[in-house]
Amino acid sequence: MSWRRWLAMGEVELSCLAYVKMYLHACLFPRCSVNGLLLSSSPAGGAVCVTDCVPLLHTHLPLAPITQLALTQVDVWCAQTQQRIVGYYQANACVSDSSPTPCALKIADKIAEQCNNAVLLMIDGGKMSPDYRVPPIVMYERKDTRWTLKDKHTIMLRQWEETRDIASQLLDSGDHSLLVDFDSHLDDITRDWTNQKLNAKIAELASPANGNV
Amino acid sequence: MSIDHVLMFRLTLYWNIKTVLFLLCPVWIIYEQVMIAALDCSRDDLAWTCLQELKRQFPGSQRVKRLAGMRLEALEKYEDASKQYDSILQDDPTNTAARKRKISILKAQGKSVEAIRELNEYLEQFVGDQEAWHELSELYINEHDYGKAAFCLEELMMTNPHNHLYCEQYAEVKYTQGGLENLELSRKYFAQALKLNNRNMRALFGLYMSASHIAASPKVNATVKKANVKYAAWATNQINRAYQVRYASSKRNEMDSTFQGDD
Repeated sequence: MSWRRWLAMGEVELSCLAYVKMYLHACLFPRCSVNGLLLSSSPAGGAVCVTDCVPLLHTHLPLAPITQLALTQVDVWCAQTQQRIVGYYQANACVSDSSPTPCALKIADKIAEQCNNAVLLMIDGGKMSPDYRVPPIVMYERKDTRWTLKDKHTIMLRQWEETRDIASQLLDSGDHSLLVDFDSHLDDITRDWTNQKLNAKIAELASPANGNV
Repeated sequence: MSIDHVLMFRLTLYWNIKTVLFLLCPVWIIYEQVMIAALDCSRDDLAWTCLQELKRQFPGSQRVKRLAGMRLEALEKYEDASKQYDSILQDDPTNTAARKRKISILKAQGKSVEAIRELNEYLEQFVGDQEAWHELSELYINEHDYGKAAFCLEELMMTNPHNHLYCEQYAEVKYTQGGLENLELSRKYFAQALKLNNRNMRALFGLYMSASHIAASPKVNATVKKANVKYAAWATNQINRAYQVRYASSKRNEMDSTFQGDD
């Protein structure tokens, strides 16, 4: 049963598409730290609706050139597709430590300069399993120049069980290898870092469950 | 010759052939590789089976002991794994694999500072170990100690002057360090990486970005600015060409496969 409610100020909604792609990105490179950007196609102001994500890197996250290049390219693409960058996600290689690294804080700070209620999302590798009852994510928000833990009750992930099942299904069928991050795009520039094919597959799996992927 | 002698000769020949075949057969290497892959996929049942076969075949082998240690690491029994490696090192202090596994345990536990210290001590003795130098550069990058990461990459470039990846990584570290001098060095090493492999897209983008930053810097004179604008323009041209060529060829492949279906 789908339901709609207006998001209040300070709340963050994470769409099925964004969550599944982040999860698959972390699964595709289990030995590496991975990161990416969170996007929104909703207008600015009020609550944050994360509708999509762009997986960026799986090697040398702290190094500047490729990160700067990726941020510029995603910025341009967002302007063309009426989206905006509203956050940053990262999954650390070391599963026992899901705290934001200095490079995560730096990039999140940069995003917060352009977007008031930007979010920083850390994927908790230790809690990633197919039948985990709650999403394995920890969210931070910016308060007085510091990133503090966001109240769990202000984070919305509709149809969590269906979303979790879609992610497991894609993992089992091997379709997670369709995911292309910016690093993979630089290795072979014919691969599409906007992941249109994977987006379509996820939309297909999600359509009976979710009304608004 | 008596029949006994002929029989003995034939039996000896038979056993010799079997031994030679056995030694040539790579099945035990496959057991080792399957075991390591099973550990990667959290298939402890399969890893255990492979380990038992290897133990049976090579009792007392240090290499098999190391595999047993890796299995303990995969089960996060780090203290037991460490004891296993210590026992290997007691018998053979020059066993580099066991020493590197001990450093991997520190890395898995998130003890980067200790891992860096141990790896530095290891490299004082085994200065030619390129895998170790690369690992050390990665650890320094994660600690944001770019100066020391650059030093490790310099060691790698000295021993592998034709490896475009080391040049490109060194250039990225220099770019990250920042400052005009480092930017100029970064541009030179991106260019060197391109000279070694003109399809390295990271190096091409890196050349464009470093040249643009130098050209935009207020500290450079007009000649340097002009030269860097030229380099950036060249890089842009190459990037555009690369995208056009690759997209054209991928479209061609798509059409070929469609037409092959029609045949």
